[in-house]
Amino acid sequence: MGSKSHALLFHVHAECKTTRARAGLMKLPHYTVKTPVFMPVGTQGTMKGLLPEQLEELDCEIILGNTYHLGNRPGTKVLEKVGGLHKFMSWNRALLTDSGGFQMVSLLKLAEITEEGVKFKSPYDDSEIMLTPEKSIEIQNCIGADIIMQLDDVVQTTFQNYDRIKEATERTSRWLDRCLKAHKRPSEQSIFPIVQGLLNSELREKSANDHLTKDVNGFAIGGLSGGESKDLFWPMVSLSTSILDKNRPRYLMGVGLAIDLVVCVALGVDMFDCVLPTRTARFGCALTKRGQLNLKQKKYEADLNPIENDCPCSTCKNYTRAYLHCIVTVETVACHLISVHNIAYQMHLMQAMRENIEKGTFPQFVKNFVNEIYSDGNIPTWVTDSLNSVGIHLSE
Amino acid sequence: MRFVIKHAGYGSERVSTLSGFGKVKTASIETPTAALLTQGGSVVHLTVDVLAKVFSNPQLLWVPLSNSARLEAGVRAQGEGVAKFSGLQNHITCATLQNVSEITPSGHFETNLVPMWTKNGKKMISADKYMDIMEIYKPDILLAIADDHITLKEGNKRVSKAVERSCSLLDTCVNRYLNSTQLKDCSLIGVITGTGIKEKCEHCIKHILKHKEHLSGVALSGMTDGSEESLRIPIDKFEEILKRICESVPSDLVKFIEGCWSPDIIMKAIQYGWDVFDGSYPTKLTNAGYALKLNFDSHRISDELCILDLNNDRYKEDFRAVLEGCECLACRKHTRAYIQHLLNTKEMLSTVLLSIHNLHHFDQMFVHARRHIASGTFEVYKEHIIKQYETYKQQVLIENDIGKDCESVKTTKKIRVSDDITENVVSA
Repeated sequence: MGSKSHALLFHVHAECKTTRARAGLMKLPHYTVKTPVFMPVGTQGTMKGLLPEQLEELDCEIILGNTYHLGNRPGTKVLEKVGGLHKFMSWNRALLTDSGGFQMVSLLKLAEITEEGVKFKSPYDDSEIMLTPEKSIEIQNCIGADIIMQLDDVVQTTFQNYDRIKEATERTSRWLDRCLKAHKRPSEQSIFPIVQGLLNSELREKSANDHLTKDVNGFAIGGLSGGESKDLFWPMVSLSTSILDKNRPRYLMGVGLAIDLVVCVALGVDMFDCVLPTRTARFGCALTKRGQLNLKQKKYEADLNPIENDCPCSTCKNYTRAYLHCIVTVETVACHLISVHNIAYQMHLMQAMRENIEKGTFPQFVKNFVNEIYSDGNIPTWVTDSLNSVGIHLSE
Repeated sequence: MRFVIKHAGYGSERVSTLSGFGKVKTASIETPTAALLTQGGSVVHLTVDVLAKVFSNPQLLWVPLSNSARLEAGVRAQGEGVAKFSGLQNHITCATLQNVSEITPSGHFETNLVPMWTKNGKKMISADKYMDIMEIYKPDILLAIADDHITLKEGNKRVSKAVERSCSLLDTCVNRYLNSTQLKDCSLIGVITGTGIKEKCEHCIKHILKHKEHLSGVALSGMTDGSEESLRIPIDKFEEILKRICESVPSDLVKFIEGCWSPDIIMKAIQYGWDVFDGSYPTKLTNAGYALKLNFDSHRISDELCILDLNNDRYKEDFRAVLEGCECLACRKHTRAYIQHLLNTKEMLSTVLLSIHNLHHFDQMFVHARRHIASGTFEVYKEHIIKQYETYKQQVLIENDIGKDCESVKTTKKIRVSDDITENVVSA
């Protein structure tokens, strides 16, 4: 590892003998994170109504903030004065920020992309903002997260135009160099390059190989989980992890559905983030081993079970499905309660995977997991195919 | 429920304990105190694990049926009462028909029915129906159903009807209560209404006292319909009501008071021997983005108002706690700037942090009141709190006036702009 190694030390202590899964420790300036890890998303410097203490009790070790939103509100001036996002939100563990580039896709109408950067129109006032690689890093340096992302040229995953995808992939590599050059706090923050190339193997391979030559502490896999079919998704993940070296952590962006987490850990991914657990909570949707429960449904009216019987979270210890049914989408408390459970669910799933990787029982764990979540036997082809590719044969 | 007076002050103020509850045997609630407002069975904005970070002891909870009626089927299925169903089985529940702080339409009465206003509209409720639900909810303390959602400005006819109806509803409640096995651990409270008219109110109290041997206390209501206007009672007028009712209620009854009353009125009510307050006030502040920060030390002068409007941009870079020295979790860990940011971005944690602070601080106001009553210094404390609140009120009035001035400036500008346009049109 290069000169920036003290901002991130990654040590793999267990590898699955069948799949590419591995368990490790990622030592960051603010916390040592156990991998594979799921990182809940706290967009605006808060995790949807939960206190930092609750996140610690849930065993969250690293959470996300969104650069684009934080740069607008509270703004860099406030963050600089207070000494960064950790202090502002009173979170003592690790943080990761995105580059702000993802908003190019979600706010595309407002954006114009050139070699210089991305021109946004602020949705708050009508002012124009130019987000360049340098600017993105400047804001992220100010926010002060342990891991920060390069600005990448984001194209909608389902986009078909080869020339544009090629341009975006190559530009992402050029922007990486500008980001690394602009980085002012390399001993405290690690920039992760983002492997691009959407669904094109050739471009993705080139992108990954380009990044591999750079002096960085980890890699992100981007341009996926944007509405593409799962049959196209997993080979791109697999291709990316097969190129990226084993000694640095691999972060798959925007993935959080339980089955995706299990498959992608088997494909060798170490880090994930997704708004799923907190977003679905707002709609009254709880995550369980047997799939999602929509607690709004009338069938839960007199159901005196907790969301999940063996779940040790404070929601399952204190509240029934019947109670949650009464208050979902009506009281803020309902949202907090389901968020707690959903984050606990994601955390326990990751913990179970880590333990099974360590014990050498990961393949069996995956089989059991798949059988339970698809208890009707309808296992999607992509799950079977992807697991087959790393030596787990579900039919055996 | 046992009610024991521990210290009587120089006036009618007193420190007492409520204990001997059916479900939480070890609970002992010191009064004067406020019951935490619940909504849908939960303390507003707080899950049970967060509530435990604010209070380590069993708390009194205010459970209006109007905002928790949708729990009925579930509570019935579980069979262990509303507290257990809402995850708050370690606390003491005090049930009532309506949160009188919620604005409800007036009118809509029938002889033996009272309207209950829920989020899904109006439901007419009889005393029997109310008691049916209470047998399912099994609260520790039960305020009788009454026609009490009226202001002090109501005329003679409406007040007469309210008192008459409430007396008859109480008779049914007492009758049902005496014959109920489900409510054997529950304490019944008679509700005083018709408060605005002395004779009617006295009639109401007399009727309640006919049932005295079955009642644990009385609740003073019939003063507000939830509107801001009805809450703006001159403090002298309030004092006169509190005083006269205090004189006609025997001191061995626990005295409850319903309504979202501000600290100055609460201090007056404590002075006249009121014991338990409806805790809507801190919740109302929280929902508005306000933080309460009374100075409890009468020897110290505070340079800030006792209520902060944290929506205000002026706190954007204010990295102090809401109240320095406050021991609540929000003040120990978070800043005004952060709460301002959360309010500005409409993030739910804003109301969680404000609830934590406001509930803690509001409770502290009562802790200090009890301490002062016990040591015979309540009078000074009371005046100290009232003065801070009055300063705040005056400041708000001034700011509102400035606001109005700004409004009128804007209006003038608008007119000028339109004059310009007219001129332009003419010249074109």
